[in-house]
Amino acid sequence: MKRNNKSVMNMVGLAAVVGLLVFSSLSFAEEAYDEDTYGPKAPIVWTKPVKGVVFLHKTHTMDAGLSCDSCHDSIFQMAAGTAEQSADFTMASLYKGKYCGACHDGQMAFASNTRCATCHVGVKGYNKLTGPAPQGKASGKH
Amino acid sequence: MKIDDLEKLENEGVENLPSEERRRFLRFGLAVTGVFVGGSVLSLTSARNAESAMGPVPASGAFPYSPHYTMVMRQNRCIDCERCMEACVKTNNVPSYGYRTTILQQEREIGKGVKERVFMPVLCNHCNRPPCVRVCPTTATYKDKKNGIVMMDYKRCIGCKTCMAACPYNARYFKEENRAVDKCNFCFDTRLSKGESKTACAAACPAGVRVFGDLTDYNSEAYKLIHTPEKVVWVLRPETGAMPNVFYMND
Repeated sequence: MKRNNKSVMNMVGLAAVVGLLVFSSLSFAEEAYDEDTYGPKAPIVWTKPVKGVVFLHKTHTMDAGLSCDSCHDSIFQMAAGTAEQSADFTMASLYKGKYCGACHDGQMAFASNTRCATCHVGVKGYNKLTGPAPQGKASGKH
Repeated sequence: MKIDDLEKLENEGVENLPSEERRRFLRFGLAVTGVFVGGSVLSLTSARNAESAMGPVPASGAFPYSPHYTMVMRQNRCIDCERCMEACVKTNNVPSYGYRTTILQQEREIGKGVKERVFMPVLCNHCNRPPCVRVCPTTATYKDKKNGIVMMDYKRCIGCKTCMAACPYNARYFKEENRAVDKCNFCFDTRLSKGESKTACAAACPAGVRVFGDLTDYNSEAYKLIHTPEKVVWVLRPETGAMPNVFYMND
């Protein structure tokens, strides 16, 4: 009986600790990233004009402190993939201060013509983020 | 300081020298002696160390071939869009299980939690001393006497794959369709011999990573790039002594 009691107590204690951990981690995660405040959590991956350019809302809103209306709807439309449809969604436009280039000008944020592979994750990065490429193209390795 | 003054200095002794330092000094002495006694044959250390000390870029005018084809990679511009690979596959009929050129990826931490991504395009380095050519038992792979391109004669290849093992750059694959080893030839048969000035990969690159050129043409972009004094130029695996002709730099 005594033994039983002790083990029950242990179980309760363990459950409490586990519960606390789960709860705290959940609440941390929720506090850490709120999609309503900071925008969609999933990365935006452009494939035009070149494959594999990534944009993370978290880096720009939560980390850099921008608000939604810093970019929407003046620089980018809310609907994902709108910019990609424009013919002028190119690096040349960025250098002229359009799209990402509005901030990535070397003053506010690193210039668009530097640190290429920060945003360009390439075909490898694209495949990693989205699973295998739709056309099932080999990555060139065997 | 003159020798007279040097002699007056107190001997520091060798007790405080790390053994690595001592070895380096001795090795240097042996190398110098070797050079005086009769060059690399008698030298007790390999002469290739002396070359790598000079940097990977050959001295002006010291190009064994004419045209001396080269490719300069402005590595930090590479975004892994893989258009070069697509162009290569299309131009040279490369099967899906092999490659003539590919992009390697490297990620390294450059600060607390800050990561840097580096893409590295690789292809045959068309070495001046190609280890693959040296090991080929049938001379199926050879260095073109005029332009230095490491070529393949498919008919001679017996598929022993020794060249694949010898290549320090993993730039060869066995092409089932040909029953022979296949590799980059700077698009010689598909483009250069037809009057094109660039390889398919260099022409397809949207970021100007791959600069194809001729080192004997001092006005070529490739020549100017690797002879920019303030730029660091490197080659891959210089320690093999293969003397590659694909140079890397950050623009």
